[in-house]
Amino acid sequence: MTSRGTPSRFLRSVLQNGVGRYVCQLKRISIVFSKKAQSSLGARDFIEEGVVDYANKNPGTVVYVSPQPCRVPKIVAEYLNGNVREETITSKTSQQISELLTKLTNQSGLEIIRIRKPFHTDSPSIQGLWHPFTNRPPSIGPIRPQKPDS
Amino acid sequence: MVFLTLSCWIRSRGPDRYWKVQEVLKHARHFRGRKNRCYSLAVLAVRRAFVYATKARKLKKRNMRTLWISRIAAATREHGMKYPALMHNLTKSSVQLNRRVISDLAVTEPRSFLSLAKLARARQQEGFRAALGDGKEPSGVLSRVVMLQ
Repeated sequence: MTSRGTPSRFLRSVLQNGVGRYVCQLKRISIVFSKKAQSSLGARDFIEEGVVDYANKNPGTVVYVSPQPCRVPKIVAEYLNGNVREETITSKTSQQISELLTKLTNQSGLEIIRIRKPFHTDSPSIQGLWHPFTNRPPSIGPIRPQKPDS
Repeated sequence: MVFLTLSCWIRSRGPDRYWKVQEVLKHARHFRGRKNRCYSLAVLAVRRAFVYATKARKLKKRNMRTLWISRIAAATREHGMKYPALMHNLTKSSVQLNRRVISDLAVTEPRSFLSLAKLARARQQEGFRAALGDGKEPSGVLSRVVMLQ
């Protein structure tokens, strides 16, 4: 896990989301679970109780519920910038699944990799960046228009 | 006649070798030479890389601090002071800025840094007056100690 061998990114927000309007970055949620398996019990309970409330609370997110014969129930979250995140929900309770969903809703779609600095500014310098002539007095005086020779 | 012993001699020796090898090679892809392709060379190189990465976590803190100190020293010498004088007088004036912040100020806010250098120089002059003077002069402004109750 070297810093040069693993990807890293700078801290940023998606198009300054939240400064003006806040747009939920979660585009689509697909809950893939099985109708009969024992590991999807929490998923089935969540779909009975909480999925409709979740869908009503987040009108900008499309919720797909797909029961299919699968060994591992999972939640596939797609974000507005195209990133896809899969989380497995085997043997999770309905409460844990709803917490997981709130976590996914609050995330922006940026990758979860090492963030180089915990801060970011668009205007790092107010008085002007230092250059070799900042603290030197000017060698010629102020430039004035030439006096006409009368 | 059906030959059955031939198929009994075929053994599957471990179906996951490719993925175990890729787990190591993926950390070696940005290396130079055959270390980024050949597993036996890559294992050694990846192990060294991880060891260097763990050791470097302490070194990074040291290196960053020396970088900040050299930047602050260069900036103070532009204003006619030296680094030890600046830091000592800033701490005596209870300015608790660390070296990272002062070096960032020196780069992005040169006028604020100039004011810090002037503050340190004033405190230095007060210190000289207190040490070399006769005690008849009034005590300085910046060297007043505030007692909080």
